[in-house]
Amino acid sequence: MDALERRVFLKGAGMGMLAFTVGGANVLMTPEQARAQGVPFRLLKAREAETIEALGETLVPGAQRAGIAHFVDQQVSVLPGEALLEARQLNVKPPFVNFYRAAIGAVDKAAEARSGRRFAVLATTEQRDFVDAMRQNKIDGWQGPAGSFVYLILRSDAVDVVYGTMEGYESLGVPYMPHIAPEKRW
Amino acid sequence: MATQEKVDVVIVGAGASGSVFAAVLAKAGKKVVVMDNGPDWQTSDLISSDIWGRRVKPAGAPFILEGKHPVSMGAQGGWGVGGAALHYFANFPRLLPNDFRVRSEHNRAHDWPISYDDVAPFYDKVAHEIGVSGDAKAEELWRPKGQPYPMPPMKTFRNGKVWLKGFEANGIRMVPAAVGMNSIEFKGRAACIYDGWCHVGCPIGALANPLVTFLADARKAGAEVRAWSTVTRVLTDASGGKVTGVEYYDQKQEKHVQPANAVVLAAWAAQNPRLLLNSATDKHDKGLANRNGLVGKYLMTHFASGTNAMFDEDVENHMGTIGAQYMSYERYGKTAHKGAFGSTFIVAGSAIKVSGLGGLANTRPDLFGADLHAFMKRAVKNLSRMNAFGEELPKIENRLELASEKDEFGMPLGRIIHSYDDNDAALWNANFEEGMKIAKATDAKDVWQGRAVQPTIHLMGGTIMGTGAANSVVNSFGQTHEIPNLYCAGPGIFATGGASNPTYTIFALSMRGAEHLAKNWSTVAG
Repeated sequence: MDALERRVFLKGAGMGMLAFTVGGANVLMTPEQARAQGVPFRLLKAREAETIEALGETLVPGAQRAGIAHFVDQQVSVLPGEALLEARQLNVKPPFVNFYRAAIGAVDKAAEARSGRRFAVLATTEQRDFVDAMRQNKIDGWQGPAGSFVYLILRSDAVDVVYGTMEGYESLGVPYMPHIAPEKRW
Repeated sequence: MATQEKVDVVIVGAGASGSVFAAVLAKAGKKVVVMDNGPDWQTSDLISSDIWGRRVKPAGAPFILEGKHPVSMGAQGGWGVGGAALHYFANFPRLLPNDFRVRSEHNRAHDWPISYDDVAPFYDKVAHEIGVSGDAKAEELWRPKGQPYPMPPMKTFRNGKVWLKGFEANGIRMVPAAVGMNSIEFKGRAACIYDGWCHVGCPIGALANPLVTFLADARKAGAEVRAWSTVTRVLTDASGGKVTGVEYYDQKQEKHVQPANAVVLAAWAAQNPRLLLNSATDKHDKGLANRNGLVGKYLMTHFASGTNAMFDEDVENHMGTIGAQYMSYERYGKTAHKGAFGSTFIVAGSAIKVSGLGGLANTRPDLFGADLHAFMKRAVKNLSRMNAFGEELPKIENRLELASEKDEFGMPLGRIIHSYDDNDAALWNANFEEGMKIAKATDAKDVWQGRAVQPTIHLMGGTIMGTGAANSVVNSFGQTHEIPNLYCAGPGIFATGGASNPTYTIFALSMRGAEHLAKNWSTVAG
């Protein structure tokens, strides 16, 4: 992260937004806004982002629209010490992108083996059954981080973007009551 | 490599223990430098958000976590000025007299080289220094008399009160929890507003984190806090009989030497032994203070048995603090549970936020999709939780050792190996069984527990205290047996862990050690 991006990031921390790259410039916006505006991914490939969105939506309805893929993409692109991912608390070894790539690869490989198609293009019920088996480490031939751990991390990310924001609290009817409010969504 | 101006003492780590040493020694007129490997956090950095709160957690672990029950370093550890005490829950139970005599009373584990009576005056002193709310008189059900706390107990809410019926039915007396939080304004620091964001840091200073207590005092007394300074070695003189300072790297990864008359390692139970082992010389070929091979040994943790309950009423679980409203030592006797040895400390009534590791969503980790959403809609109003914390006895095989892999500064990573044994599992399960009985005696409609993995909370040990070099690394003041001007501080020096949250004891022992160092400065470090 260069000095300019770092300043933008720190400003964003106070404002509750993330720094996304638009046309070569750092712009502060929420992951939902980044998704709506079609901000290019920094590290994730399009298919990887599709898998994350599909997993996120299966885990927590609304995660796709809330920008889970843009959230993960932006977070794996910053220094580990500046990342806000639950992976950080769960002792995932940086760089975090390696974990996500391994997880996505394992999911898609297993989905191909089970159903002949990658996860993002499975039917909704198939996706649900797949995730249910994955969380219990019950997918034969699984290759990658433990399915239960992939479930835990991606579910945490989905919970973060859907419920963990000020808007998420509002949608659940819970007073947020911040000391220092993360402006906008966070 | 640059050599800095010599100081009286360099303290490695700006968390709970380091901040106490810094305050006491700076007030005693010593020139103090406190080094921390992370940012110089300010209270204004403590944004009320589980997402943003992760900024004060470790990242890029310099530890390899192994064993059947790997230590949960990422969630438990600290990073930056304030350390883990920047995001701790501030539950302030004490250790009790029986914790100091486990060997002599039960022929297990270790005795401490000191008794409860040696530490009690410092519990009282800390309480009046930084502020504790609670009811000391009520605690005399289980412990010797001490001074009253300077503040009355905190407010209680329905999410705590709903448990009282269940505890009473099971013969468990609950008293107001002692917490390092302000129930009223204290020494110019604001009273708590009960918004439940303690675990991501309290920016109003109502919770006694180091930034607003000991570290603030230390800075006021002239101590320098040097952030982004990663200490990699403790340096010794040619004879090996004295430490002479530390080697460290700044944020630009440039190497420095900080000479000092004394060194206090206050960098956490795992990092202190990592530093000692990495400081080996020809005079200390196994690492500093490690001729007996005990550096890094006897790591121990606590394990929680949590019970969740869904009530019909709105229990206001967003209100309160992340600490407890009620606590009990009723099962603190080492043989309180048949068939399982060790103390249990019980708490109830904490705020529960929506997301995060300890949040509502993770009380039913099996749910996802529409089922999770339906659960969340109900849980935000009706869910409450109680917890019983169990004691793990120290085992020599639970240890830190240096790995062959190295970090960005060329320092070997630490490998933390930790496993529970059958007794630990038995105590964990006994607490679950009792938790279920308690929950079923409340008005809850659904009760459940998550027993998937025995958790590891509050890392302790690794540089334990004892009567001499034959059984320990440091004495009761944290002074290493081998090198008089080298100290260790923090939970690493606990001889056994009890079941109480450790930070109040960390503060008390650090104050005792720091005052001893200040009083004996000329013989120790002069």
